Amino acid sequence: MGFEPIKILYAIISLFIIFNVGMLLNGITRKIGARVGRRHGIRFYQPYIDLVKNYALRSNISHGIMFYLGPVFRLTGGIGVYLFIPVIYGSQYFSNFSFAGDMVLVLYFIFFGLLGMALGAGESGHPYSALGVGRGLAQVTAAEIPLVIAFLGVAMQYQSLSITEIVGMQQGGIMNWTMMTNPLITIVALIAFLGTMMRSPFDIVLAPQEIPIGPPTEFHSTFLGVLQTNRAIFPMAKTVLFVNLFFGGATNWGILILKAFILYMVSVVVGTVFPRFRVDQSIRWFYKYVLILGVIALIATTFMFK
Amino acid sequence: MVNPIYIFILALGAGFLLSLFDKAGRKVSMTIFYAVLAGMTAISAQWFIALLQGAEPTLIFTAGFKPPFSINLQMGMEEAFFTLLVNALGLLSGIFMMKKLQSTKVNGMILFLMMIMGINGLIMTRDMFNLFVFMEITSIATFAMIGIERNLKALSAGFKYVIAGGIASIFFLIGTIYLYRFTGVLHIDSMAAALDMASGQVAFLSVFILLMALIIELKPFPANGWALDVYESVNSGVVAIIASASSAGMLFVLYKITPLLNDSLLLTVAGIGLVTFVFSNLIGLKQQKAKRLLGYSSIGQIGLIMAAYAFLVHLGYAQNSTTVMLVTGGLFITHFIAKAGLFWIAGIVEKENLEGWSIIRKKPILVFVFGVFIVALSGLPPFPGFFAKWQLVMTLTSKGMIFVTAMILLGSFFEAAYLFRWLGKVLKTESEEYEIKATITQWIPLSIGVLALLGVSAYFSTLIPGGASLKILYLPMLLIVALFFLDFLPAWVKNTIVILLMSFYTWQLLPGLEGYRFLFGIIFLVGGVLLFIPGYIFKGKRVGFYPFAVMMYAGLAGLLLAENTLQLFTAWEIMTLGSYILIIRGKKSEPHALSYMLFSIGGAFIMLMGLGLFYSVNGQSFDLALLGSITQSTGIIFVLLAIGFLTKIASMGLHIWLPGAHGEAETDVSPMVSAILLKAGMFGLVVLMSAIQNPMIGNVSITYVMSWLGVITVFGGNLMAIYQEDAKRLLAYSSVGNLGYVLFGLSLMTHLGWLTSITYALNHFLFKAMLFLAIGGVVMRVKTKNMYEMGGLIKRMPISFISVLIGIIALSGVPPLSGFAGKWLTYNVLIEKGWVLQGVVLIIGGLIAFLYCFRLIHTIFLGQLKDNHRKVKEAPIAILIPQVLFIFAIMFFSAYPGMVLRPVGDFLAKIFPQGAIDWQNGVAFTAFGHWDGLGVLMITGVIFMAVFGWLLLTNRKTQKVKQFNIVYAAERPSRPELTHVGYNFFAHYRKALGVLSKPYAEKFWDGLSGIFHSTAGFIRKLYTGNGQTYLVHIIVFILVVYAFAMGG
Repeated sequence: MGFEPIKILYAIISLFIIFNVGMLLNGITRKIGARVGRRHGIRFYQPYIDLVKNYALRSNISHGIMFYLGPVFRLTGGIGVYLFIPVIYGSQYFSNFSFAGDMVLVLYFIFFGLLGMALGAGESGHPYSALGVGRGLAQVTAAEIPLVIAFLGVAMQYQSLSITEIVGMQQGGIMNWTMMTNPLITIVALIAFLGTMMRSPFDIVLAPQEIPIGPPTEFHSTFLGVLQTNRAIFPMAKTVLFVNLFFGGATNWGILILKAFILYMVSVVVGTVFPRFRVDQSIRWFYKYVLILGVIALIATTFMFK
Repeated sequence: MVNPIYIFILALGAGFLLSLFDKAGRKVSMTIFYAVLAGMTAISAQWFIALLQGAEPTLIFTAGFKPPFSINLQMGMEEAFFTLLVNALGLLSGIFMMKKLQSTKVNGMILFLMMIMGINGLIMTRDMFNLFVFMEITSIATFAMIGIERNLKALSAGFKYVIAGGIASIFFLIGTIYLYRFTGVLHIDSMAAALDMASGQVAFLSVFILLMALIIELKPFPANGWALDVYESVNSGVVAIIASASSAGMLFVLYKITPLLNDSLLLTVAGIGLVTFVFSNLIGLKQQKAKRLLGYSSIGQIGLIMAAYAFLVHLGYAQNSTTVMLVTGGLFITHFIAKAGLFWIAGIVEKENLEGWSIIRKKPILVFVFGVFIVALSGLPPFPGFFAKWQLVMTLTSKGMIFVTAMILLGSFFEAAYLFRWLGKVLKTESEEYEIKATITQWIPLSIGVLALLGVSAYFSTLIPGGASLKILYLPMLLIVALFFLDFLPAWVKNTIVILLMSFYTWQLLPGLEGYRFLFGIIFLVGGVLLFIPGYIFKGKRVGFYPFAVMMYAGLAGLLLAENTLQLFTAWEIMTLGSYILIIRGKKSEPHALSYMLFSIGGAFIMLMGLGLFYSVNGQSFDLALLGSITQSTGIIFVLLAIGFLTKIASMGLHIWLPGAHGEAETDVSPMVSAILLKAGMFGLVVLMSAIQNPMIGNVSITYVMSWLGVITVFGGNLMAIYQEDAKRLLAYSSVGNLGYVLFGLSLMTHLGWLTSITYALNHFLFKAMLFLAIGGVVMRVKTKNMYEMGGLIKRMPISFISVLIGIIALSGVPPLSGFAGKWLTYNVLIEKGWVLQGVVLIIGGLIAFLYCFRLIHTIFLGQLKDNHRKVKEAPIAILIPQVLFIFAIMFFSAYPGMVLRPVGDFLAKIFPQGAIDWQNGVAFTAFGHWDGLGVLMITGVIFMAVFGWLLLTNRKTQKVKQFNIVYAAERPSRPELTHVGYNFFAHYRKALGVLSKPYAEKFWDGLSGIFHSTAGFIRKLYTGNGQTYLVHIIVFILVVYAFAMGG
């Protein structure tokens, strides 16, 4: 299943679908958040308006080459992560570019955008950016612990690193999903999912409600537009990955979007209900409880599937 | 040939007549004095040469009777050798003291001659009573010479010397009387024969008393306070003779009366020697005065020689067997020359404290001479002491004397510790403007001493068993020697010479290497050549850099070629020595270089134990190929050797030397020692582990323990790295972490595991060399290593920035660069092996790496440019060139991982045939997953370009703004220091992790060295300086030894 030129076209289609799903979900999420807070909230298509507005803005200033490339790295990371995941099981054309690597590639490609964005934010010279990056990286490394443990657990369970194979082995009913065959690992994975979705209680990096702090502080207009594009794609890519690894994957777009929506809502619900952690608190939380839980889950997995 | 009796006739005759000649003028008497010393030396030399060529030993009879009825002297091989040494030393020391002798009365010269003659007598006589006479002559003459310095200290030391000497004489006389009573003879050879018949408690006691007299003269611990005072306060020329020549004489007496000793007395001697060796070196740790320190070292060395000799004879080696000769001879000649030389230097320096000696830096040649003596004494190659110790350890371990070997190595470790501390102080302490003066008469003995030592070393290395195999090191050694002579040339000339010669050597050597040796050959030698390129930035001569840099690479090349344990160990030590000197060149490197050396030497000694055990269980062979076939004590040997190698790769616990040593080193030394030298430890592990594949101690699998050590190293090294403010230390800690991956990969003992390990090693070699060069260039320009003092340098040093960027991407393992290969393989091996717990720690460690990677690039290159760095220039081209080459290498490795990893897999298949990677069109397949390096690179590139194009399209009119044009609370900041976030960047991480972030290893080693130092300080209180106390020591010592000897 190697590379064929037609795949590029399908990849673009798939990217387009997921981008729109992501944009709509962003809007819906904000709406839900507002309603829980007894506000009316935005229109669900507001993100589109924002995006168009940002791309159309003219005030463009740059702090240097890395600053310029930061959003490029970020979006490349988001698109890349998505395109290395086989999206629809059984569909040769919607397997994206998964021939290039397995889930380890996806796992580490997450950092591509992160690191690039961090560099761009760094060159802006804004102290808030650096602070945000420092917090963000620190928290991500902690939040990735359960993520990695969960991935390792799944790989141990199925004795494979190939996402396609893992989805394949979950076919044939809900009882075959990792969620059912290995619930402990799935719980760990969900915690990791929460940790990486940039929502409360793990959203100190951006701290959207109070001050314009965080890596994007200095990014505006088109740069911000690129970042917003990524905010639609990147979380969706992660969600699709989780759907594939833990919830049986999907054999068509309808199932995929449904599963992704439900999974996405987990982070929304938690984020709306729980208040925010400080960075050192969240790191400690991941290192203490989640790590222990993860290790137990991992040991259980090795015993169950040996 | 001249009859040896003329040695005495010359000395005595001159002694009687000198005062007469002195009336004719001091010049006349001095000429005669030196002529006599030269004559004595010539007679010994003539006999020595003749005996070497096969002449018969000769006996000299006096008074017309044959022994046992008359006194006779003997001139055999041993006597000729010893008298030659003593007389030559007498001559040289006499020359050294020319000024002193000129200014004192003629008695000085007379007594000097008597002293030398007495020692000659001690060596040559075969008669017990005559021995006593010569002992007295030597003692009295020595006592008088001690008084040549007319100060209170020297005089009181002389008095204590007389007390001790008096007691010894009394004991000697009583012993002799009793022995005469039992055997009826005074002739030593006949006495030994007669003693057998007269055995019994009383005969034993009489030999014991005689022996004690000798032992006291040999300054046993703790009954040696008097000797220390002598060493400390007496004229350097005289003390050189006391430390070297007199000890030689007394040792020879011990050698002569050995036939009288039964086994329990032999063991007593050995025990006393061992205790003396260990304890005087332990106390030496605490010593701050140079000459007293040399005293401790002398006493220790004599103890070691006694112990080695007595143990070997006890083990059944004949007194004059090759083994005994090699071991004691090697130890002795090193001590003899080096100690005399150091005392002479003490005479030139005339500084009491160790730090004060740094004034010799005014004369580089003197530093060289000093260094040679120090290194020789610490038992490093190529000096005879090294080979002697090697032989001794091999022999003792093969006879099962493990504890004794361990004690000897412990004592040697203490000695190396204070010697290298001293060397470090001399090399690094800032000295006052004080000018140092050395006269030609002081230079002559020193140069002869050094040349003699080097000559003896070259000759000695061929004598020992297996010595012929060391010829693999001759060619590099020749280059090193040549570089010493060429050191007056400017640095760029030497740099070119070294690059050319090393390229040629690499060209010759590499094609002959196979499998992993070829791979390491590329890292060691090709990497070595590349890392010489930055050397062009140095102006001036760069004195002393090139010989030692080449020495390090010579050691590394030696490792590649090593086929037996002797070659391996010699190369290892040569590499250590060269790298130590490289490391200590850094401005603030002194304590770190010392700790590097201590860990290296400690590790090497543990390794030596392992090699000794290996020798003892494999049928006494040095062949490394037998490592795979040993059946006994496999686990222990494995552990001992592994610890030796692990100190070099700085696994957690053994790592504390690394951050300082790598962080403080010079710009081009840091990448050398980090990217290349660390792999030497890995090379050792590969050799070891490919031979012994399943080492066990009891039920514990050692490789399993190593896997934990590896992952803890990854975690600890990376975690410490994120807290560093110093950019080079950050990189150094990162090396600790990276070598942890290497260790973990090896410990898996599978095909994929080793492939992972090698991938990490290769990557680390590439990116760490590049990062250290780039950061070194930055540090050179901004003149600080603190990252928070930098910032915004991307605009001033863009190429360095790109290097660091590529470096950290490769380091952190983010695709599409080659670092990802390691990560991908890691997951595969974790699933293959099922070691998930280690996997978790390992991966957490890997995640933490992102933090320091970002910090490194952000704090230095991004953020706000500081006012004082606005005119900083890009790093020199010589530093940039290798960086660019390394970038290309990383890019190639990233795009075509198969072309690199496939050959590696092929030779790994010879060790581990199962589980290899399946390569299909450059895509790697394992049982679990797949990875297409080129594909990932291209997809990423295309997406990147597409997004970039999109941004350019929508963003046409971007304008660059000035540094402070940021959204900053409605005002414009003006001070970069206040807006650049850099200091204590990951404070929250430290707060979150709490106890995990504490430096436990450093505390442990600090505590341990504290224990040694305070023990030394406590024991040292024995030496009150009071003659009466010393007398009590001697008496109590003899009683205690008697109790032991009777009991044992």
